[in-house]
Amino acid sequence: MEDARTIADWATTGREQTAAGEEGFRQLYEATSRPLWGYLQHASGRADVADDLLQETFCRFLLRKPPAMDEASARSYLFRIATNLLHNRPRSRDDDAREEPAECSVEIDQGVRLDVQAAMRQLKSRERELLYLAYVEGMSHAEIAAATGLGTMSIRILLYRARQKAGEFLEPKRSGS
Amino acid sequence: MKHLSCEHEIGVIRALHSGEWTSELRLHVEECQDCGQSLRLAEALRQTAAHAQVRCSPPDPHWILQRARRMARAIALRRIALLMAAMRTLAALYVIAVAAWLMRGYAALQYREVAASMHGANSEIGLLGALAAAVCVAAGLFPILRGGSEPG
Repeated sequence: MEDARTIADWATTGREQTAAGEEGFRQLYEATSRPLWGYLQHASGRADVADDLLQETFCRFLLRKPPAMDEASARSYLFRIATNLLHNRPRSRDDDAREEPAECSVEIDQGVRLDVQAAMRQLKSRERELLYLAYVEGMSHAEIAAATGLGTMSIRILLYRARQKAGEFLEPKRSGS
Repeated sequence: MKHLSCEHEIGVIRALHSGEWTSELRLHVEECQDCGQSLRLAEALRQTAAHAQVRCSPPDPHWILQRARRMARAIALRRIALLMAAMRTLAALYVIAVAAWLMRGYAALQYREVAASMHGANSEIGLLGALAAAVCVAAGLFPILRGGSEPG
């Protein structure tokens, strides 16, 4: 019933929301949309899925947002919604074929990039999520636990296994190049 | 307890993010196999992520706000529709029950005796019934009137 009241209040007072509130959302959106898109793209392996789920994540966040929430909590909550959406989305045949990254002007080590792409294809979705949150977002185990809904101790074990698995796929190719 | 990873791993990843490396930490990474592997993996993942995010073009936040408002209205309407359907079902059941009660009453009494049987005790029961019906009607109308009086 609390949810219903929040949604109804939000719906009826939407037009009366202050400019400051919208500005707050705009700032949060600017700060989190790209990392969140990167996470969704990395975990799903598809840019089109990341585009759709990014919009859905922010819409759900706006619908469910508790009254008082600082930026760090909001960020963690956004990643939690995104993770749930990733797990709940209907699977399609296209998911088996992770897309190759398009060429762009960013200067990177091409050999490393291709090896990572190949290694990530071998990992499960959950393992890719954990590696991204830990190594790209730099989240602590507690923060990852909040973002994924797993226990903090489980994160430690799962992350270790994911790293070992990624390392197995990554290291031989690096040494060979 | 078996150690799953080096205790300095978190510090290494933090240093990679902040760029604040201490000489001890650099020395440790060179010697520790786990930290070395974590660092290489983190660097590779960060480069890949940075490369992928070039293709990211998030929509305007105003558009997201508008879409969220439309979703909120749709949810609120769905809930009201559900409430109205429940009220309609209850009303139908109420009418059927009253009709059955009246038919049973008329079957038991002679038509002309009905008016004569309206003494004080029956009037009170009738009044209570009317009051209950009024409360039900008011409860059903309240969300509709409330929704109609508010903006948006």
